[in-house]
Amino acid sequence: MRLDTGEGVLSLTVPVHAEQDRLPGDPGVWLFITADVFVFGLFFLLFSLGRVAHPALYERSRLVLNPTLGLANTLILLTSSWFMVRAVTAAREGARRRVMRNIALAMAVGSVFAVTKIIEYSAKIHAGITMLSNEFFTYYFVFTGIHFLHYIIGMVVLMICFHKAKTQPIDGNYVVWIESSGCYWHMVDLLWVVLFPMLYLLRAA
Amino acid sequence: MGNISEFKYWRFCAWNGPVFMFVFIAFWGLMGHNIPPWNPETPAAVVANWFRADANLIRTGMVMGMTFAVCYCVWGLAIGRVMGKIVGKDSLLVDLQVWGAGLTVVPLLVSTSFWLAGAYRPAALPDEILQLLFDWAWLLIDLAYSVTTVQLFAAGVAFLQDKRPVPLVPKWLAWYGIWVGFMFIAECLMPFFKTGAFARDGILNFWIEFSIWFVWAPLLTVYILKAITRLEQEARG
Repeated sequence: MRLDTGEGVLSLTVPVHAEQDRLPGDPGVWLFITADVFVFGLFFLLFSLGRVAHPALYERSRLVLNPTLGLANTLILLTSSWFMVRAVTAAREGARRRVMRNIALAMAVGSVFAVTKIIEYSAKIHAGITMLSNEFFTYYFVFTGIHFLHYIIGMVVLMICFHKAKTQPIDGNYVVWIESSGCYWHMVDLLWVVLFPMLYLLRAA
Repeated sequence: MGNISEFKYWRFCAWNGPVFMFVFIAFWGLMGHNIPPWNPETPAAVVANWFRADANLIRTGMVMGMTFAVCYCVWGLAIGRVMGKIVGKDSLLVDLQVWGAGLTVVPLLVSTSFWLAGAYRPAALPDEILQLLFDWAWLLIDLAYSVTTVQLFAAGVAFLQDKRPVPLVPKWLAWYGIWVGFMFIAECLMPFFKTGAFARDGILNFWIEFSIWFVWAPLLTVYILKAITRLEQEARG
């Protein structure tokens, strides 16, 4: 993908090639991400086991969810992540204004996720559906709730990235910061990309 | 450091961590029937009969648990001293970690006292009261997670600031500790469920939550002991 001008692409080629042997960001963040993905993997396993045990209940409950909002949230998070990729690229090139602009866009688009989630949760609660309604909705509220918590932390991290970009030099330390933040933000996408089809789309066999 | 011999006290404090872990597994956990705990749907009569039949076992387990609960705070002081060599002894992070470790002792002491109260005169108490004491103790010990989270976050953030070529505590362990502190939030689900993964004996709220802490704490102790040795060698010049 050509994200930038010819100058930008040229300057990207060398560092990206040279960086192929290293993980982006702080390696410690990857431990955090791996541990988190492991726990969500366990969640997905629990859900699958429950679904096998009670297919009719899961199917009936799934049909109550709004897949359009789920799809909208998927697109929102992926778009936000795309702006984050652009921000990381800009940081590697030391382009402060582009870094700030792209982080601002990532936050602006990402903030819509909170709006749609609140709409979705409110609709369920008004319809009398809660975490205690049945096993499907226990998992629905708990998994998406914990994911939402990850999202909030991600938004705070993006704000810190923006503030650092505004007040501190765009140097090697900042690149590690923004790469780590970007990896975390992508994990938030990744988890949602699995949660969305699992909760909203997967039909009973 | 002015007095080199001070390090032996650091080391002593650090060893309080393993002592605490051993006592809590053996006495609070196995002897006190908390590994795993009674399922919340267990009838009150079953829990009450256990209190009555195993009263002396439970009394011993909880007396030991209460006696050694303070080891957690002492262990936190050793961690705080090592943190002080990274972020400075006046850093707020050191205070947060030490307070987090110290305050963790409070729910440990109070909840073990509930189990002990149940085992004190179980024949004179109705089944539901004994069940309540068991439930209450578990609600407290699980829902007091946030004080321990303060400790985990403060320690993690401090260890991430270590500028040594080989940090005293590895960065991955710092991140892991932060993650464990974050994961404790799942304990908030526990009061809402009596069965399944989020109940007090469930795979998430018991097995995963306790296991991830029991990976962090021994590993941190190993690195704290190594760090003390390194700091002692540096001080000796």
